Amino acid sequence: MGADPVAAVTGDRPVGVAIVDDHPVVVEGVRAWLATEPRLTVLATGDDPDAVLRAAPHADVILLDLRLHGRMALDKLAELSAAGRRVVVYSEHTDPQTMLAALDAGAVAFLAKHEGREHCVETVLAAASDRPYVPPALAGAMVGDPRPDRPMLSDKEREALLLWFQSMSKASVARRMQISEHTVKQYVDRARIKYTRAGRPAATKAALLARAIEDGLVRPEEIGIYRSQATHDRPTP
Amino acid sequence: MSADLNAPAHPTDAPEAPNRTSVPTPREPDSPTALAAPAAVAHASDRGARIAAVAIALAWHVAIALPAVLSARAEFAAPAVVLGAWILVAVTGAVAGVRLLQGSPLPPWPLAGLLLVVDAAVFAAAGERQLFTAANWVWGTLGWFFVLAVWGRRVVGLIALLSTHALIALVAVLVHGPDPADVARYVMYVYGTFSLPVAVFVGSTVIVGLARERAAVSAAGHAMAAERDAAERGLRERRDRLALVSSAAGRVLGDLAGGQADPDDPEVQRRCMLAAARLRRLIAESDDVPDPLLHELRAAADLAERNGLPIDLVTIGTPPPLPVEVRRRLADPLTGTLADARGWARLTVVSGLDEVVVSLVTPDREGPESTGPPLGEHDDGPVQYLYERDGNIRWAQTRWRR
Repeated sequence: MGADPVAAVTGDRPVGVAIVDDHPVVVEGVRAWLATEPRLTVLATGDDPDAVLRAAPHADVILLDLRLHGRMALDKLAELSAAGRRVVVYSEHTDPQTMLAALDAGAVAFLAKHEGREHCVETVLAAASDRPYVPPALAGAMVGDPRPDRPMLSDKEREALLLWFQSMSKASVARRMQISEHTVKQYVDRARIKYTRAGRPAATKAALLARAIEDGLVRPEEIGIYRSQATHDRPTP
Repeated sequence: MSADLNAPAHPTDAPEAPNRTSVPTPREPDSPTALAAPAAVAHASDRGARIAAVAIALAWHVAIALPAVLSARAEFAAPAVVLGAWILVAVTGAVAGVRLLQGSPLPPWPLAGLLLVVDAAVFAAAGERQLFTAANWVWGTLGWFFVLAVWGRRVVGLIALLSTHALIALVAVLVHGPDPADVARYVMYVYGTFSLPVAVFVGSTVIVGLARERAAVSAAGHAMAAERDAAERGLRERRDRLALVSSAAGRVLGDLAGGQADPDDPEVQRRCMLAAARLRRLIAESDDVPDPLLHELRAAADLAERNGLPIDLVTIGTPPPLPVEVRRRLADPLTGTLADARGWARLTVVSGLDEVVVSLVTPDREGPESTGPPLGEHDDGPVQYLYERDGNIRWAQTRWRR
């Protein structure tokens, strides 16, 4: 994206980040990563999501370790997402099922812990502006999604996801596909947007979708057909 | 198995062939199926002989003995006994024959005892004048019923019965007054009653035994042909793998041993690493694991890691079962790139039902392609291979599509 997307949403105020993790060393590490980016500021940290949010009620993005005190916090993730909180899940659990489940529950993005500073900063910045960011591990999970009700991706979207997952370099993907880096990012982001209809509804998904339409990434009618069959927990219309 | 018999024999080509004697010795059949085939052949052969024996006994009894008994019935000392005995033997013989054909013969010794009692009774009731005529039907018939009674047993039993029969006849002859002509007749009759039943009895036993043996030899031949075939196939596979191993490691080892290669030369070190990676993968190839492709890639990654290369192996999905040829084409081109890798490597496998994509990315660096994976892309059957370097990364990718 050309113009600074975050400024448009947050004005001059830096993006407020809350970090929820039960390992202090990870909290410190992520804090150090984010400190290298002046547009980000860490407002609160802790191992209890509720306590952290009480300390920083206006946090723009929550970085949530999916495994808190030995159990998967998918319910908490869904609750926060439904309430419109932009949650970036980061986890050492990088099996595709977990990643896709986190997206279904409304996570704005999924970041594997090994993916490093650059992806972390990028992901948080994108999340703050309700824009998708697909780190390579998540791209792998999406391209290998075996579920029968998975969103239908176009060949180009699939190939872009696959190559991005393999090479972790959009420049190399662009060269391989003989398209521009911008187009590579568009394919990847479009694929991600198609996943906003999967799983439970969440305010964050609506926000992602709205921003994608606003940015011209997808047209509303393109989204409508990718209806997930995982509707069991939706209120009956 | 029958097709294997037509396979050309290569005794010199197959050192593992289990039995190298030129004439296959019939082995003791060790499996139930190997046992069943010769037994079935023997059973079929034995059944034919039983039918013949039953037919001879009953036909003789009815066609030859009965008319003679009926025509001479007035001249017997006790016609009722001779006729009654004939009927008794006819009924008993028929039952014994049927039971024998059904495979559940009557108990031999009670039956033999009954026949001997009949024998004695008929000799006593026939009277002197009918002693050596056809009307004294026990001469001609009884031997065949002895055969039925002791069918499948040792010939000694039959000989004992026939000897007892001869003894009974001798007593009858002596009781009626020893006339030299009668004694001569007696010897001739005894010879006649012995020879045919014993010949049939022994002959059938021998035929059954031969049939069993031939079937066993034939089964052993089949088994040997199958074993040889399997051994040859195993040998062929081992040769193929040996050729692969030789091409992987043989040359560099030869150069090192011959002093043409300097172990300090980075190029030689790289060749060694490549050879080791190929060997490691070939070894992994023969492991019996649920996910062979991942197992083989893990083996290569493991080796690279042990050589100090941080390597990230990420797998998405489970590969479908792939033939070893396809797995080789998927994994081999990447092994060369992996041996060249410096700094780090990212190995990814994305599998679906119809597609498996393996990719290896390593940082690009100065210098030519030393392992020589050709730049660009080519198709190798169902596996497509792509390799490129862009100054930033070296990227090798193999992709199998169903």
